[in-house]
Amino acid sequence: MEPDQLKNWLSLLLTIAWLLPLGGFALEIFAGFWSTRLKKTAAYIAVGCIGAGFVCSLTALCSWGMHTGYWAEHDYLTKFFQETPLGGDHAPADGHAADGHHGSEHDAHHDEHSAHGAEHGAHGHEHDESKYPTVFAGRYYQLAEFGSLQLEIGYYIDSLTLVMFTMVTLIATCIHVFAIGYMSDELTEDYVDHFVHVGEGHLHRPGRFYRFFAFLSLFSFSMLGLVIAGNVFMVFIFWELVGICSYLLIGFYTERKSASTAANKAFIVNRVGDFGFLIGLMILWTSFGTFAFSEPSAEKAAENPGLFQMLRDDHGQMTVEIADDGSHQVVLTGPEGTHKTIPYYLLVAAGIGIFCGCVGKSAQFPLQTWLPDAMEGPTPVSALVHSATMVAAGVYLVGRFYPMFTPEVLVTIAYIGAITLFMAATIAVVATDIKRVLAYSTISQLGYMMLSLGVGGWVAGLLHLITHAFFKSLMFLCSGSVIHGCHHEQEMPKMGGLRKKMPITAYTMLIGVIAITGLAIPGTYFGFQFAMSGYHSKDAIVATSLAYWGLNDQHVLLFILPLAGAGITAFYMFRLWFYTFAGEPRDQHIHDHAHESPAVMWVPLVILSFFAIFCAYDGEQGPLWGLLVHSEPAGMDHGFDPAAPGQIAVPGHHHVHEKMSGDATVHDVAGRYALAVAIAGAILAYLFYGARLLNPADVRRQVAGLHEFLVEKWRFDELYDAMFVKPVHVISGWIAALDRVVIDGFLHGTSKAAVDVSTWDRRFDEQVIDGLVNWVGDRTFRVGRSLRFVQTGRLRQYVMFIAGGLFGVLMLVYILTL
Amino acid sequence: MNIETLFNYLKSDLSTSLPAFSPELTICATILALLFARLFNVDRRGSLISPAGITLTGIGVAFVLSVVQLGKFTDSGSDQGSGMFTGLLLFDGFTAFFRVFLLVSIILIVWLTQLSGIPDREDGPDFFILLLGSTLGMMLMASANHMLMLFLAIEMTSVPSYVMVGFLKGRKTASEAALKYVVYGGGAAGVMLYGISLLAGLLGTAHLPEMAAQLAKIANDPALMSGPTLTTLAIAVVMILVGIAFKLSLFPFHFWCPDAFEGASAEVAGFLSVASKAGAFALLVRFCLAMVGEFTEIHATPAAMKQFNLQIGVVLGFVAAITATFGNLAAYSQTNMKRLLAYSTIAHAGYMLMAVSAMMIFLSLGDSNGAKRAIEGLLYYLMVYLVMNLGAFGIVALIRNEIFSEQIADYAQLAKSSPMLAVGMLICLFSLVGIPPTGGFVGKFMIFAAMFDAAEYQPIMYAVFVVGVLNTVFSLFYYLNVLRVMWIVPADESARTAEVPLASRSGAFVAVLSIAVIVTGTIFVAPVQQIAEQVTRLVSS
Repeated sequence: MEPDQLKNWLSLLLTIAWLLPLGGFALEIFAGFWSTRLKKTAAYIAVGCIGAGFVCSLTALCSWGMHTGYWAEHDYLTKFFQETPLGGDHAPADGHAADGHHGSEHDAHHDEHSAHGAEHGAHGHEHDESKYPTVFAGRYYQLAEFGSLQLEIGYYIDSLTLVMFTMVTLIATCIHVFAIGYMSDELTEDYVDHFVHVGEGHLHRPGRFYRFFAFLSLFSFSMLGLVIAGNVFMVFIFWELVGICSYLLIGFYTERKSASTAANKAFIVNRVGDFGFLIGLMILWTSFGTFAFSEPSAEKAAENPGLFQMLRDDHGQMTVEIADDGSHQVVLTGPEGTHKTIPYYLLVAAGIGIFCGCVGKSAQFPLQTWLPDAMEGPTPVSALVHSATMVAAGVYLVGRFYPMFTPEVLVTIAYIGAITLFMAATIAVVATDIKRVLAYSTISQLGYMMLSLGVGGWVAGLLHLITHAFFKSLMFLCSGSVIHGCHHEQEMPKMGGLRKKMPITAYTMLIGVIAITGLAIPGTYFGFQFAMSGYHSKDAIVATSLAYWGLNDQHVLLFILPLAGAGITAFYMFRLWFYTFAGEPRDQHIHDHAHESPAVMWVPLVILSFFAIFCAYDGEQGPLWGLLVHSEPAGMDHGFDPAAPGQIAVPGHHHVHEKMSGDATVHDVAGRYALAVAIAGAILAYLFYGARLLNPADVRRQVAGLHEFLVEKWRFDELYDAMFVKPVHVISGWIAALDRVVIDGFLHGTSKAAVDVSTWDRRFDEQVIDGLVNWVGDRTFRVGRSLRFVQTGRLRQYVMFIAGGLFGVLMLVYILTL
Repeated sequence: MNIETLFNYLKSDLSTSLPAFSPELTICATILALLFARLFNVDRRGSLISPAGITLTGIGVAFVLSVVQLGKFTDSGSDQGSGMFTGLLLFDGFTAFFRVFLLVSIILIVWLTQLSGIPDREDGPDFFILLLGSTLGMMLMASANHMLMLFLAIEMTSVPSYVMVGFLKGRKTASEAALKYVVYGGGAAGVMLYGISLLAGLLGTAHLPEMAAQLAKIANDPALMSGPTLTTLAIAVVMILVGIAFKLSLFPFHFWCPDAFEGASAEVAGFLSVASKAGAFALLVRFCLAMVGEFTEIHATPAAMKQFNLQIGVVLGFVAAITATFGNLAAYSQTNMKRLLAYSTIAHAGYMLMAVSAMMIFLSLGDSNGAKRAIEGLLYYLMVYLVMNLGAFGIVALIRNEIFSEQIADYAQLAKSSPMLAVGMLICLFSLVGIPPTGGFVGKFMIFAAMFDAAEYQPIMYAVFVVGVLNTVFSLFYYLNVLRVMWIVPADESARTAEVPLASRSGAFVAVLSIAVIVTGTIFVAPVQQIAEQVTRLVSS
């Protein structure tokens, strides 16, 4: 196939996959399903749309691989059959590792492709002329043109886009199917919401089955639009669209106070992040004048370069000059090779701004508080929106926008990620609501991804995004199945022993748990390897951060925190499993009524657990890793030397694979540590909750303060409440604290002072602030009223006004010409 | 020139002019058809032929003809345009565009009258004849190339409008409003005619393309371009602008507008506020371009003339700022929805005049790209204004048919009883304020952007720009008040409720206009902008 044909074919397939859910949404919301609330038609339409989307995405991925010669070059299938799966260490030879090509170095028949592939890897997506292009960009439609700025609906297709499309559509399909079972109690004219009390009884309302699927379809459309977007502006549009879908779905049970509050919270917290995003966009508009990512074709790029091409050359290097006044200036390559400079700090500000948006959407510190509350939505929503896809959008954008981030921005990202992952993991240890444990786990894992991207592990971070999507959606659906089976009981202390009642759920959940904790039997020691997806991705992340530490001495925390996080992750995930499924039931009533879910719910679990095990098959020699490496930004494989003004080095692939101690590479060392810590965490969890040899209550008593601190989620909600919601309460809180410490005599005095302060405050508020506002309002209103009297309605005066008006205008002319 | 050559000249001129004039001729033929149908009683109740049917057929044919003509212009790109009828009228892309624009607006008006039942079938022919006659005048306004035609076109538009305002014969307010409109219009026409006579006397020609050349001649001579000549010139131009300002209802020549709108039915008010505005803006742009002369001669333009044109631009900017402020402030205390919309119309004329003001400043300094952007903004705004304002007036008419009231207070809880109308009103009013993602936002953005750029040349225009932006904030107050009543204020128990379902003929009308308002602000920004850009390129080439 000619490159042009392939481009059209790929964009056609992905466009169909993208727009089908939109069509589904329109049908489901407008086709009048409210008149027949008992039918599942809406669900079938939704599943059909997203399923067809998956088929299209998969076809696109396959044809991309076939026609660009990617499959032929990285012959995974042959390798799979020719070699035994127990084939020993796959660590790449040094020479090949240096050029960043990890596909299939060890293979005999690979040699003929070797030179080819090496060149290929080195260039990232900037291909030389002889190569078949693997990146395609184009425009569907131009929204508007303001001066030189074009606002477009466009696409940017590389292997990352294709992988994301396939992952999102596959997981969404599974979750749609699961939801048919989970949401079936909405198939009624008279749904009784047991969580809402109205007068004497519960709230009765018509079922909203069709509406749920309409929202899911709209969400799928928005998410796919975000992934396919060819420019930052389009990303922003779909960014907001997934935001509104998330809002609608969290607040699906609108009548529940907690749900509507959670929806509001999610929306408002995200606005804070989006404010930064908008600032970033404005800086980009003014200093770059374009929003497009990159233009793959060389001729068009010369004319109309994308953001990445303006900032970096073919080898991913940007040029920094020192201006006369000593400030750092970045040189941008404009159209036709013209140059201009912008201040370095502006680029940092733009990067931080865009990252702020990602912080909000991916629930990173300090905007993480909305995600646990978002669990008020139905469980399939938690699985799809709040763990697997939407929250990963922030990570995806950081990955997509990577070339625009300076090392200073990257180190910020890394620290935010590290803090988030550690904090969320510690909170997950004490949470008792099964969905909340998973929610904190999600935040923590997103922190891992951010950290990885921040320390230069681009592929590792995005690989973790994909693997996490599979095992986390699996675990959420399992928890959904548990909740469904236990009649909407979510508290783990009331569960236990459910393994026998719901075996499929229990064992698929166990797969998810092993995958996320990264337990494995690595090939290095025992001659055969068995590892699930999470092992590979987490290993790669820890290894990159170790390499980063090696290059930048002062950033030791960036290695310690993820390592500690790995142990804690293992602990809380096994805690969850043992709590729920192992041992004796804690609440006999719930246990007696528990039942395995119907096939429509467990079949998706089995499919997802398959991918949770195998999606990252073979780690850094595997197909998924290879696909992602293919889209890696130029220059990432070599890493970046310390450069002004931050003097921060970013490790490349060879840093991760160079020898550290003896024969072991950095990667091996990091892997050993991570595995040891994870096993320790798992064993500890077994002792506490599986074998119940240790009593958690004892420990809780020992560290009561810490426990409380964690239960209250590091007090972030309280902090924000105090900082933003009720500043007055802070003052009265201080006064109250003072009250308790100081002798009794002051008590009345201080409380009176508090009252005085608030009355004074109120009086000030009412008289000065309100008065001012009212005065302004009143004035304008009065001016408006007085204008009314000019309009007398008398004819004779009107004619006079013509003469008067003419005279007035002539006077105006006269005055202006003076 | 003997009689034979004259005859031959006229003959050849006619043979080129008549095809170009075909849309107007179609309208004339439609008027005749309406008269004859009534004369022979074939369009009475029960007959297949209805007045509205004849009207729509005629407009449809004219519309197709104009679209074909516009297509020819946009295809050929830089067509110079040609004179019609010995140069009295100009036939170029601008003319063609405004014909299409005006025809679309009266198609929508006729559609609305069919939904709201004003006029009934008995009065139909009278009403439609007036409507078509007025439209014919507006089409002439857009193509006028001679000051005589300019005056005639304005009168041709105005006279049928006077009658239409008083069309509801039984209502005292309607007759009163019509009378006020007539007298005021007469006064304004007198001033304008005086201005025309002064200018024609001064320049020795009334032909617009020759005016600039004559003006340049005077300006080149320092002895001439001083004292009395300059004063006469200024007075003449201001007087002509007064005539146009009357049509645009600019401050301080807007007094007729609230009274006329309140007295007239909402359909007529909508027509006056949209179509009549568009025609007047076309005329204003033509007149201003004539004052500047050809773009290509800009470097040869004498400094005095540049200065004069710059002054016109600045004065227009000030008038625009005052008009917008006045319109918005006066709208605050209105209780009648049509009156409120009348003041809103005045304010919007102010916004749009800012584009013309920016255009004059750009032109006087020879920045033709800036001028193009200003006209582009004006055209974009007009196109959006057509749908959003007609949408608002249409909804007022539809509500009136249900609750027999146009008082804002009576709209209480409309969101409950007739959500479709309330949502349509919300979209139109948001667009009038200029809130994204509606077309009003993009239009305002383009005009303000042009104004902002113009201010770089003439810093005093920053003041106009700031006033314009502040006015957007002022206007929120009274537009949102209407929505507040519709959504929040509790309804009277005894109040009538309007119930217009989405799936009805009225619903379709509101839906079409609301969707048009939204798409011009989102996915159709580019095509609409492209139309504006192409027309601009045609007019400025």
